[in-house]
Amino acid sequence: MLDFMFFVFAGLALLGGLLVAFHRSIVHSAFALVVALFGVAGLYWTLGADFLGATQILLYVGGVTVLLLFAVMLTTRDSTRVSLGRNVLVAPIVGYLAYLVWQAGLGIAAIIADTHTAVTADPAPTTGAIGALFLEREHYLLPFEAISVLLLLVLVGAVTLARRGQEAA
Amino acid sequence: MPALPGLVAAAGAKAAGAVAAGAQGAAAGAQAAAGAVAQAAAATAPAATVTGHAGHLQSYLVVSCVLFALGIATILTRRNVLYVLMGVELILNAANLNFVAFARFGGYGMDGQMFALFVVILAAAEAAIALAIVLRIFHDFGSIDVTRTDSLRD
Repeated sequence: MLDFMFFVFAGLALLGGLLVAFHRSIVHSAFALVVALFGVAGLYWTLGADFLGATQILLYVGGVTVLLLFAVMLTTRDSTRVSLGRNVLVAPIVGYLAYLVWQAGLGIAAIIADTHTAVTADPAPTTGAIGALFLEREHYLLPFEAISVLLLLVLVGAVTLARRGQEAA
Repeated sequence: MPALPGLVAAAGAKAAGAVAAGAQGAAAGAQAAAGAVAQAAAATAPAATVTGHAGHLQSYLVVSCVLFALGIATILTRRNVLYVLMGVELILNAANLNFVAFARFGGYGMDGQMFALFVVILAAAEAAIALAIVLRIFHDFGSIDVTRTDSLRD
């Protein structure tokens, strides 16, 4: 069952990624990004990260892609076509970078193989543990507070940037 | 178990097709994957209760690697700023997937998920600021083509 879910969600993620990279229309690409991010959320679930999967859907699928769609509809007049045939240099660069990433992943996998523990099929819910980690001083309390300040800065900064554009107009 | 290396290699070959001309690198990666899975199958006892591809780190690494390649391809081939943002999101997701998969299969507890959570939050913040900047660029230049935004002043 978990194997089947892995294939479904991996397929969604890769299909969405392919459409983002190669589809002609930017609106379709933005919707394909929703599919890809949902697939990644499903992969988090198959990895036992239920809270992270839910956060991914809330923040990415519900937030970031809606922002992206707004920006697409506010700015785009025509869709930019992919010209992979003309970008001859791009393909080897992409292939080489992907190869490096793959090798790095295998290297870390080789290190991890020593500490590898048995993976249980039905892991415990993670929400309570994550909440405790966020609020314990010896764990993630400082990053948690720092990111709260950062989010406030982002809120003010985004409003300032967008409003300055309106006032000039 | 003996069928697994071939299947993972096939997934790697699919990755090669997706990257289009990065075929050489990905094919080499697929061979390396087959070797690694064979070693893992030979070395570790079948103690994991999750079976099939969902029980192997390498399957997640393949997905993450292909997502990364697609993100890079998006950034390099498109000229619209919004496509560049989408490519960045794909790459961040690939990295997140690796964080969670490594933590899960390495038995590192919750740290991988916490890191991924922070990355998701930062990506949301980045998207908000980036889109505000995109609106300004569109207002100032009349286009969001990355090759035509060549000045910081009014």
